[in-house]
Amino acid sequence: MRNFQKTILGSTFLLILLIVSLLYPYYGPKDFNHKVIMTNEQGDVIGRAPFPPSEQHLLGTDRNGEDMHWLLLYGAKFTLITAIGVAFIRVLFGGALGFFISIWVPCLKSYVQDLFIIFRYIPSVLLGLILMIPIVGDFNDVPVSSIVIYQIIILVFIGIPSVTMFTSDITGELLKTTFVQSSYLMGAGKLHIIRRHLWPHIRSYGILFVVQQIISTLHITMQLGLFGMFLGGRSRAGIMGYDEPPKPATLSNEWAGLIGQNFNEFLRAPWTIFTPIMAYFIVIVVVNMIKKELEQNLTGREALKWNRKRKNVRQDPMKRLTSTDFQMVDVRNVEK
Amino acid sequence: MKRLLRIFIRFVLILVSLLFVFNLPGLLEIGKDKVQININTFWSFVKSDLHSLTSINDPRYWEFVQTVDLAESYQYTMTILVLSLLLVTLLSVVISIIVFISPPKVRNLFRSIVNFFEAVPDLLIIFLFMFFVVTLYKTTGFKFLQLYGVFGKKPYFVPVMTVSFLPFFLLLQFLLKVITDEQNQLYVEYAIAKGIGQVRILGVHIFRNIFPLAISQLRSIVWVLLSNIYLVEFIFNINGFNQQLFKVVIYGGNITTLVIFLFMLTIPLLIIESIGWFLSRKVKGKVEASI
Repeated sequence: MRNFQKTILGSTFLLILLIVSLLYPYYGPKDFNHKVIMTNEQGDVIGRAPFPPSEQHLLGTDRNGEDMHWLLLYGAKFTLITAIGVAFIRVLFGGALGFFISIWVPCLKSYVQDLFIIFRYIPSVLLGLILMIPIVGDFNDVPVSSIVIYQIIILVFIGIPSVTMFTSDITGELLKTTFVQSSYLMGAGKLHIIRRHLWPHIRSYGILFVVQQIISTLHITMQLGLFGMFLGGRSRAGIMGYDEPPKPATLSNEWAGLIGQNFNEFLRAPWTIFTPIMAYFIVIVVVNMIKKELEQNLTGREALKWNRKRKNVRQDPMKRLTSTDFQMVDVRNVEK
Repeated sequence: MKRLLRIFIRFVLILVSLLFVFNLPGLLEIGKDKVQININTFWSFVKSDLHSLTSINDPRYWEFVQTVDLAESYQYTMTILVLSLLLVTLLSVVISIIVFISPPKVRNLFRSIVNFFEAVPDLLIIFLFMFFVVTLYKTTGFKFLQLYGVFGKKPYFVPVMTVSFLPFFLLLQFLLKVITDEQNQLYVEYAIAKGIGQVRILGVHIFRNIFPLAISQLRSIVWVLLSNIYLVEFIFNINGFNQQLFKVVIYGGNITTLVIFLFMLTIPLLIIESIGWFLSRKVKGKVEASI
């Protein structure tokens, strides 16, 4: 059976996370409970940030003495919106390109494949790194908005080839099916075939692609964050104890940035790394659950349609004929 | 003639895409509050890159390459890759046989475990391994396992384990799926009817049939291994080939060295692809002959 239970559950979870994060300024502490030095009642210093997870600091604090759970909640919106937005744009552009190639110029497909050959051989982290270092790799005083736009362009760019090739393959397969072929033979135009035969299939594949691309974007932003390519660039003023030279800190506190920023602290404060990664992990598990269900629905659909058709085929019982349904014919008139 | 032309066009297209991709930062100029497209800078970058690619004999371009220890680091990275590839294939084949001869309850348990690991991010695994090694050192005080690559040391055990953890589950998942499909085939039922044992059917008949498929799957395994090695070298601070590549990206600058380094990185992929190509040709030829 086709059902969307897990999809609904998962999307609700992501939506709630997003809303809670968007509403952060209304309830959360503005400075994330910034507190570097802990003192006891007599005023003696008993501890210095980073503090391990405890009752006061649910997930521990980072070097600045800021609570990790508040940081995570605050940064969730940037991570989620980037992942979802980039995935949508990738599927929109890549899908349109692949669709166009398969339907109108299938002869060009192998050439396009050659154009995209780099993306098949170089790991995408590496490609993202090479393309982002000139802009994001150092402190600069460019406005945040242009850095973000640049990063989003790069993230979209990295993912488009795979979406294009997938869409093109799937459209090619659909074009070979018997229903499309017979429609062609009966004289249907290309637009008619797209609207009636391809669109319903492509639509559900598109949703599946978006979900897949969300996962891949989450992975790549996480890895780029580790290398210091934070979303929104680096901010100079940031981390306690690293004043000269300044250590890059994330501007937006998105999760990947938290990983990259606390990377050197791993041995002293492993929780500063593990909490953002676990947050990523939970989101990826949820999205993966949605993806699995959608895939199952797609492959199970053929069987389902067959069942529905069989139900419709059942006809009304034949009407019993009575003598009034017949008419006497004058035999001699017919012979004449 | 036509084929030659086709190869030429391919070559040009690959060159064009290389030049376009690596000069993309030049094309997109950061403006006041938006990203502008700047054709002039882009074009001048492309021209200088083309010049650099054509004058490959110029010793100036090779100065940078001589500063990094290319051969040794490349050998190290490839050793890690080959070791982990061997480990992954051996382990997953053995485990898949164990799964299939175990009772159905255990089999389902295995399946759900394997499916769970599909969603685990590689960074989590790498950091968990690191945490494990460090706590082991802290609690016992002995250095069982070498983690960091400082002072020119090159650890093998921990990187190989870390790198091959997730690809192992990937390959195992694939094998379980393919073997399940294969078990409904007629020849398997025939073999069962003749009284051949489970292990023998698996090892001799099924594995022989899924071999070409598995080789094509190995390509994506190598791909995942490569990007994992990249992360591991960065996190454990090991002076491997990817670190040299990183140096090229940051300081080296010119496209010739970059292209050469990237090409060296893709050699294992090329090897596995050509093996797959030969195998599929061989299999296809056999099928044609048998019909």
